[in-house]
Amino acid sequence: MMIADILTGAIRSGTSVMLASQGELISERAGVINLGTEGSMLCGALGGFAVTVWTGNPWLGVLAGGIAGMLISAIHAFLVLACGANQLATGLTIMFFGMGVTSFLGRGFVSEQIVGFNPVPIPFLSDIPFIGGILFNHDPLTYLAILFVPCLWYVLFRTRLGIVLRATGERQEVLFASGINPKLVRYLAVLAGGFLAGVGGVQLSVAFTHSWVENMTQGRGVVAVALVIFASWMPARAMLGAYLFGAAQALQLTVQQQGLPISPFFLFMVPYLLTLAALLIVERKQRSLMPESLGKVFAGDGAR
Amino acid sequence: MKTDHPVKPAYLLRAAGLTKRFGSLTANEGIDLEVRPGQIHAILGENGAGKSTLMKMLYGVYEPDEGTVLMDGEPAVLYPPSRARAKGIGMVFQDFRLIPAMTVLESIALAVESGFALRRKQLRARILEVSRKYGLAVDPDAYVWQLDLGQRQRLEIVKVLLAPGTRVIIFDEPTSVLVPQEVEKFLDMLDKLRKDRYGILLITHKINEVLACADQVSVLRAGRMVYQSDQVDSGDGDKLISAMMGEKTLNPVTKQGMHGEEREPILQLKDGTIRGDHGEPVLEGVHLTLRKSEITGVAGISGNGQRELAEVLFGLRKLGTGELTIASAVMNDASTKEFMEAGVTFVSEDPIKESVIPGFSILEHMILDGIEAPVKGANIDWARAQKLLEDSEEARALALADGSRRADQLSGGNVQRMVLSRALIRKPDILIISYPSRGLDIGTTRTIQQQLIELAKQGTAVLLFSEDLDELFKLSDRLVVLSGKKLLGPYDTHETDVSRIGERMLKGESA
Amino acid sequence: MKQQAGAAALSPANGMTRGNRWKPAALKTALMLAPFVVFGLFLLFHNVNPVTLYISMIQSTFGDLYGFGEVLLKATPFILTGLAAALPAKAGLVNVGGEGQLAIGALFSTWFAVFYLDAMPAALGIPLMLLAGALGGGLWAAVTALLKVKGGLNETITSLLLNYVAAFTVGFFVHGLLKDPNSFNWPFSPEIASSLRLPVVNGTRLHVGILLALVLAAVTWYVLARTRLGFRIRVIGSNRFAAERAGFRINRTYFWVLVAGGMLAGIAGMIEIAGIEGRLRASTGVNYGYLGFLAAMMAWNHPLRIVLTGFILGMISVAGNTLEIASGLPASSVHILMGLVLFFILGSGRRSS
Repeated sequence: MMIADILTGAIRSGTSVMLASQGELISERAGVINLGTEGSMLCGALGGFAVTVWTGNPWLGVLAGGIAGMLISAIHAFLVLACGANQLATGLTIMFFGMGVTSFLGRGFVSEQIVGFNPVPIPFLSDIPFIGGILFNHDPLTYLAILFVPCLWYVLFRTRLGIVLRATGERQEVLFASGINPKLVRYLAVLAGGFLAGVGGVQLSVAFTHSWVENMTQGRGVVAVALVIFASWMPARAMLGAYLFGAAQALQLTVQQQGLPISPFFLFMVPYLLTLAALLIVERKQRSLMPESLGKVFAGDGAR
Repeated sequence: MKTDHPVKPAYLLRAAGLTKRFGSLTANEGIDLEVRPGQIHAILGENGAGKSTLMKMLYGVYEPDEGTVLMDGEPAVLYPPSRARAKGIGMVFQDFRLIPAMTVLESIALAVESGFALRRKQLRARILEVSRKYGLAVDPDAYVWQLDLGQRQRLEIVKVLLAPGTRVIIFDEPTSVLVPQEVEKFLDMLDKLRKDRYGILLITHKINEVLACADQVSVLRAGRMVYQSDQVDSGDGDKLISAMMGEKTLNPVTKQGMHGEEREPILQLKDGTIRGDHGEPVLEGVHLTLRKSEITGVAGISGNGQRELAEVLFGLRKLGTGELTIASAVMNDASTKEFMEAGVTFVSEDPIKESVIPGFSILEHMILDGIEAPVKGANIDWARAQKLLEDSEEARALALADGSRRADQLSGGNVQRMVLSRALIRKPDILIISYPSRGLDIGTTRTIQQQLIELAKQGTAVLLFSEDLDELFKLSDRLVVLSGKKLLGPYDTHETDVSRIGERMLKGESA
Repeated sequence: MKQQAGAAALSPANGMTRGNRWKPAALKTALMLAPFVVFGLFLLFHNVNPVTLYISMIQSTFGDLYGFGEVLLKATPFILTGLAAALPAKAGLVNVGGEGQLAIGALFSTWFAVFYLDAMPAALGIPLMLLAGALGGGLWAAVTALLKVKGGLNETITSLLLNYVAAFTVGFFVHGLLKDPNSFNWPFSPEIASSLRLPVVNGTRLHVGILLALVLAAVTWYVLARTRLGFRIRVIGSNRFAAERAGFRINRTYFWVLVAGGMLAGIAGMIEIAGIEGRLRASTGVNYGYLGFLAAMMAWNHPLRIVLTGFILGMISVAGNTLEIASGLPASSVHILMGLVLFFILGSGRRSS
């Protein structure tokens, strides 16, 4: 059952990236690219873990992790939106700051143990052969995360809120002419993105590994940003990309467990190379789908 | 078409003493203005007279420095636009505030609805109702990028009409994007709006439109109201012109007839397919020949492949299929540099975006694509470059500012001067020039037109893109028309007229 | 509308020394000090007296020759990876790949040093090792550059992702092909020959690498500010459309500035090996690429100012050790200080006027 193991593992290890990519997607749809997602994930992972240690309640951990991720993304929003700082550089600084803060504050939590979230098989559904084990035997946070994806799609494409958000990322002057403050929309989008990345971090530390390790996200936040481009800013495709990344991670664990003679370092690289390959394959069509103001950031207008 | 009002109706909006300054520049000074229900008030003025500033104050984009606005007898604050809208003021912008990636329905929902939800069915019904009533055909499910400029304008108007409580509608140069045939329909629609007692402000620089439809007229010159009248008679044309122009005397643009002669071709495009940014064909089966000493004008509603065609002729875009030759050398795969070496110079349609380099001086810009850079070791001899610039007749004729000024601090008109003099200094064999008179006052426009004619006289082949049919007819020896993915023509300017060209712009070959 | 142009304005370096960027000195000083105040509050919160700590930090860096040498030692790679970010930035590219380019540069130079340059005299071996480092960094950057130019992928994202791949590549080599057979299974490479070590200043660990970094910074500045090539690079970076319309070959420039940046970072990797560590470990130069990027940001990508900002970051890094010894706070807290410094710089930075 190696394939089933890998696919189950794909969801386990990919959900954190998935949540972060949904958050980044919201932020990018509003025209702000946030490389600080990595930092938000780290803060979320630590915040969620710490609160779970203190209270024993992982749901409080989710809340705390989300808020931690949101707080650090608020710095990004402020520097970029109020001070006009370069988005890419600010994001990197946030990433760096997140590493510093969490490795400092997380010292005491390295050896802590928690119960956290654990798989809850869904009755009947989890008994379906093959599929059941892969899809319906996860922790509650993961179920919620998956349900979030269609909700986000609905909001983006079927509500006026979604139109406002997308319009902000395309041409903010249009919004101004319609009496909506685009800056406010961007603030909210970045904060929402930070919250989701934080929850993604919680999934990593409280549901997946049940531990806190310094710098444990290992570039997952960066991958989340890359996946949003791969997904051409569509929620379902971002989910697909995240689980592809998760599958590569799971493959590596499985191969190690099976003791196959492949250097683990090659396997570590696979998810990153896979992300790059995915980007390369879809690139051609992308340009037309990229929110206009985001294109300016990438083209260097935001890089001064 | 005019309505007779025995008693003057009460005003919807009355502005008094509006003044707006930008730094040391006074864009509007002491403007008084009234808008009455069921009347069309035309604001006439040249480019740069301050019309846009005035309208933006009335729509709340700018906050007036002085002056008051009364609505319903009470002082009204119109800044920001959300307040103006709440008071029932709507504006149809010249540069449409639309998002290409959205559908018509989404664009309207963004502007006229509020709250979280989207009631598609209901909104669609309202859109169709308004568009039927005023003859504003729009497809609610079409994407904005699929619409031509006329359709976009109709969408903007529907947006304004659907916004709750609209009673004053401002039109900013509405006919500049329309062909002659569409203009008539537009004027019909204005009349319907007037009958429904909307108050209408029509900004324009075209006197015949004012004569055709306006009930009141105000003329702006250099930021002040120089003429106001509650009556518009068909014989007022000369009066309005002299009010617009003031004391200025203009050199007429003269062009000697070169008509009928067959000149030597220098650039030839045979059976070309030109693709857009997303790989879609924009123009197909294009045959185009540019000849020495000839100005070829390109007419067409903008967005019909003008930008793409210009870019192909300068190596910025690869030709899809077909063959492009310059002086019988095949240029299909040539780089921009090779096009430049072949004697082509290009003035793009958006010089601020595409030509101005932030932080660089005018002189540095001239080195890029004008003056041949004098070399000094690994560097450029800036002192000599400066001297070459000072010695240039073209730079003097266009009154180019000091070479050490930073180009990103220049006004739009001055940027245009810089870009044009740079192109003229090169004395190119082939000049591709897009919208040379955009944003310039009439005097400079005439200077530039005269210089283009001189350049052609000296042997340059000019391809002139313009949205101004008068300009095209005045300058061109031949005209081609871009319409429906085709390049039509060439037509000899002496053998055709504005209405026939307008017909082809609108309907393509069938016309 | 007349504007005083000023006599000095007509200099080709205009694009690099933009006019009114420098705010009044007092405000600037306050902004420079603010992060230290915030960090001081943070220290107070953890029962550490910030004043005594800052004094001991300054003493340990400027107090003696050894400490000062340590600062320069730290600053060297920051300057080089800073240049690796600044050079592409002048062409409008955001290269965050200094981290990976440094790692691969270190890998290449170690590989050559261990297997080919072992018996060579210093005069030949060290330059060859330097070339190997530059080659490694350049090749790694070429991946990003190719993806950018041929694949149209954004260089920021790809260079970031490739940093992780580079780290795992180094991990692979020090655990395998390049592992020291006498290391008792520790994952690091054999030590390079002593003839390949960079000459050191007596009484410190300071080696000649800093001089190399200074020279390269000066060369980068000269090329950008004083040559036609630099003019072209700056035009491309300021307005790609204008550069296209002037007939510049944009993709070619993109490719070469990225590769040149990679070479600079690769040289930083070589210096780490030949100057300090003597052997390659998985931890060699970790975070130096990011710190270099931040040094470039702080210097607004001005090559000469990077020397200064690299030095400041070097000072803070060295102070991190003091922090650990003097206050019992972990060295990672210095990253918080660094983050704060950068936040204030980013927040006070020039706006797109």
